Amino acid sequence: MSSSTPPTISTRSREFWAGVRQELPLQLGVAPFGLVFGVLGIASGLTPLQTILLSSIIFGGASQVVFAQLWGAGVPAPVVGASVSVINLRHALYSASIAPYLRSLPLVWRVPLAYLLTDEAYAVTIHRLRNEPPSPHQHYHLLGTGMTLWVCWQITTVTGVLFGATIPQSWSLGFAIPLTFIAIVAPAIRRRADLAACLTAGIISVVGQPLPWKSWIILAAIGGIAAGYLTHRHGTREVA
Amino acid sequence: MIWLVMIACGLFTFATRFVMFSDAAPRQLPEWLQDALGFVPIAVLTAIIVPAVLVSPEGGLALAGNARLPAALVAITVALVTRSVLATIVTGLVALWCLDWLVY
Repeated sequence: MSSSTPPTISTRSREFWAGVRQELPLQLGVAPFGLVFGVLGIASGLTPLQTILLSSIIFGGASQVVFAQLWGAGVPAPVVGASVSVINLRHALYSASIAPYLRSLPLVWRVPLAYLLTDEAYAVTIHRLRNEPPSPHQHYHLLGTGMTLWVCWQITTVTGVLFGATIPQSWSLGFAIPLTFIAIVAPAIRRRADLAACLTAGIISVVGQPLPWKSWIILAAIGGIAAGYLTHRHGTREVA
Repeated sequence: MIWLVMIACGLFTFATRFVMFSDAAPRQLPEWLQDALGFVPIAVLTAIIVPAVLVSPEGGLALAGNARLPAALVAITVALVTRSVLATIVTGLVALWCLDWLVY
C-alpha cells in the first residue's frame, strides 16, 4: 500500500477522500471482476435485474459467482444458501479485526459501515487505522474505501449485464473468473497449511463432480478449511 | 423464490460483516475460529478455480487437449510474479486464445 503522508489535521473530508484515493488502484482488479460477473449472471440464466441487484444485496464477488452458477444449474435453495454462507463467513474476521476502532460509533454508522466491509475496503482501511494517528473522524476513511468499491462494483456489474449479450462465446470471457481467483490465491499461499487447504479443496472439487447439486463446492470449501486448520495446529504443536 | 434466497443470502452476508460490531459481541473471536476462518478464501476460491480449469463441460476430468490447463499455469506464474489481478486476467485470457487458435 502506498504510504501516503498522513493528513496534518484529520477532518471528515480528508479521511473520506484519503480512503477514496487509496482504494482507487485496487479497482483495476475489481472492475474486470464486476464486468465478468455481469456477463456470467446473464449467461447463468438470471435476469438483468436479478444480476444487478445481487451486486447490492449480497455485495461479495465470489459468493455472487457461486450463487449465479448454482441457481442457474437448478440447485435447491438450501444448498445455494449454505454455499454462499460458507464463502462469506470470512467477513467475520474483518469484522473482528476492525471492530475495536468502530464499536463506539452509533448504530446508524455501524450498519452502513458493516455493509461496506469487503475484502479490498478492509485491507486499505485497516492499514490506515493501524498506522496513522487515531482520529474521531477515522470512520470516514472506511466510508471512502467502501463507497469507492461499491460504486465501482455496481457500475461494472451493470456494464457487464448490458454488454454481456454482445460478447461472442468464443472469447471465453467466463475464464476470467478462475483467473481473477488465481490472482488472489497464488500469492496467498505462503505456509504449509495454506498449501494443504488449497490441495484438499482442489482435489475434493474434482473428485466430487458426480455429487448432486454441485455440492462439491461446499464440501471442498469445508474440507479445505479443515485441512488448513489441522495442518496449522499440528505445525504449531511441533514448534511448541 | 429466487428473490427470497437472494435476500436471505444478503442478510446472512451482512450479519457476517456486522457480527463483531454489535454491542453484544465478545471483544475477540476465539483463536481456533480466527485460525479456521483464515483458510476460507484459499479453500473456497480453489474450489471454484480447479473445476473451472480441469473439468470438461460433461463433468469429466479434462487434461489432454484442454487449453485451459496451460493457460492457467501461465496465469499462476504471472500472478506470483506481478501480484496483479489485471495482468493475470489479461495474460491468462490471451494465453487461452493463442492456445485455442494455434495448438488445439
